[in-house]
Amino acid sequence: MSQTPPLLEARGLRVLRPGDEGAVTVLDAVDLSLPAGTLAEVTGPSGAGKTTLLLALGRLLPGAEGALLLAGRPADEYEPQTWRTLVALLPQRPALVPGTIAENLRLPWSLKAREGDQPPADDALREALDGVALGDVALDRDVSRLSVGQASRIALLRVTLTRPRVLLLDEPDASLDDASAAEVARITAAFVGSGGSIVRVSHVRTDAAASVRYRLADGQLTLVGPSTSGAAESSRLAATTGLAVTPEAADAVTRASSSKVPGAAIIDAATDLPEVPDA
Amino acid sequence: MPEATGGTIPIGAWELALATGFVFLAGALSLWMGVKLERDLAVATVRTYLQLFALGFVLRWVFVNQTWPIVLALLGVMVIAAARVVLKRAGNAPPGVFLSAVGSMALTGFTVTFAVTALIIRVPVWYEARYVLPIAGMVIGNSMTGIALAVERLFADLDSRSAEVLGLTALGATVWEAAHPSIRTALRAGMMPTINSMAAAGIVFIPGMMTGQILAGADPVEASKYQIVVMLMIAAATSIGAIAAVLLMYRRRFTAEGVYLEKGYREPVS
Repeated sequence: MSQTPPLLEARGLRVLRPGDEGAVTVLDAVDLSLPAGTLAEVTGPSGAGKTTLLLALGRLLPGAEGALLLAGRPADEYEPQTWRTLVALLPQRPALVPGTIAENLRLPWSLKAREGDQPPADDALREALDGVALGDVALDRDVSRLSVGQASRIALLRVTLTRPRVLLLDEPDASLDDASAAEVARITAAFVGSGGSIVRVSHVRTDAAASVRYRLADGQLTLVGPSTSGAAESSRLAATTGLAVTPEAADAVTRASSSKVPGAAIIDAATDLPEVPDA
Repeated sequence: MPEATGGTIPIGAWELALATGFVFLAGALSLWMGVKLERDLAVATVRTYLQLFALGFVLRWVFVNQTWPIVLALLGVMVIAAARVVLKRAGNAPPGVFLSAVGSMALTGFTVTFAVTALIIRVPVWYEARYVLPIAGMVIGNSMTGIALAVERLFADLDSRSAEVLGLTALGATVWEAAHPSIRTALRAGMMPTINSMAAAGIVFIPGMMTGQILAGADPVEASKYQIVVMLMIAAATSIGAIAAVLLMYRRRFTAEGVYLEKGYREPVS
């Protein structure tokens, strides 16, 4: 059999942005190959195009050129909306819609892209909130009464509950205190530990669990170093948070719904990672 | 000046001069207080004279020489002029929406006008200019205001929600799903003035057409029936026009892949 293709692959990503004196090259033939279960951290100076890179990977950037593949299949085989449910971007400013926490967490299932899928029940949402240290926050609380750190975690929780293959995180902890940032790291580690992949852009903190690090500057994405401890770290975190990485264990966890983190859903998604639905 | 007809008391040159005198008074006040409105007032007064006299002469000529091509051509001119006003007021609309504006103005202008003249007033000749043109004027003028408000609000609201729109799109939302809250806001904004004026009609003010008919000697109850028809028809026209315009235009702020065009990614407006 042939080798398993990388989960997410970008070839020759090129982005020009109109500037005052002609077009500015933000990304210049950027390549990226992300195996399943990788947490890739991208750092770089402010304005280097980190957000642009994430938008391009999520097919959310007008005028981006280059090839994107998910599990070996080219992006144009997917409807843009389907692609975005599989390669999910969490913008830096987490935009919750007016309403309660439960409404926000179930919002993705009100969209046509997930027509026919069952939204998580209250119990599952409650459990997910408990798992990210939001146990004291009621499901029917209005999101306008959340702190910045709480809102960020709700937004991250929402996107992980939708079981994407790849998470694109734009400075997920930039405006958070250390405790909230640690919760974010727990969620991301659990996601990676269960077989999903993450591209995480940061300039404030670095994630100790990152398994590979890139630097983006002058339009070029450079590998700075794989971090062997990162993979071990995410496995360890996954284990301590009650997440298992084998399909059998994952099924068991999903059935029992005993996970204390929003991992049950993620694991389920991770077990069938190489398969992608028809576009 | 035309002779008195029906119950109308005719207005002559002296009466017009007197009315103009009031404007001069306003202009003098503006000059004295340094408000600098006198120039605008003068221009507006001259325009009022020229435009309304021109309208009077055109209508008098059309009423005598009416044929269906002339009436339809005049409606067409009104629709295009209204569409231009819509786009001028909604300066934030993306380029290339002129045809959408014309289309929605035409849809509402023609359907509501002819529905009223044919089914409610039941004019003997379907293009009877004495009925068709004034009614079309009210339909097009009022729906123009509603459409302009709705279109302006649509694109302003999308801009203010751009972070939410990106968030929704990133969750897999279609253009319709991402834009829907703004579409709702836009239609409410377009309809509100009409609904408010319906609620206040007869209590806070006497509507314009009813005032005109009463001044022209009509029975107030008969005039009120006409006014009810007109108000309902304006409400219908504003809704139809605003819905059509918003539905025809909202996609233009998104790419074919359904991504909202943030300010930096738009074509420069010429």
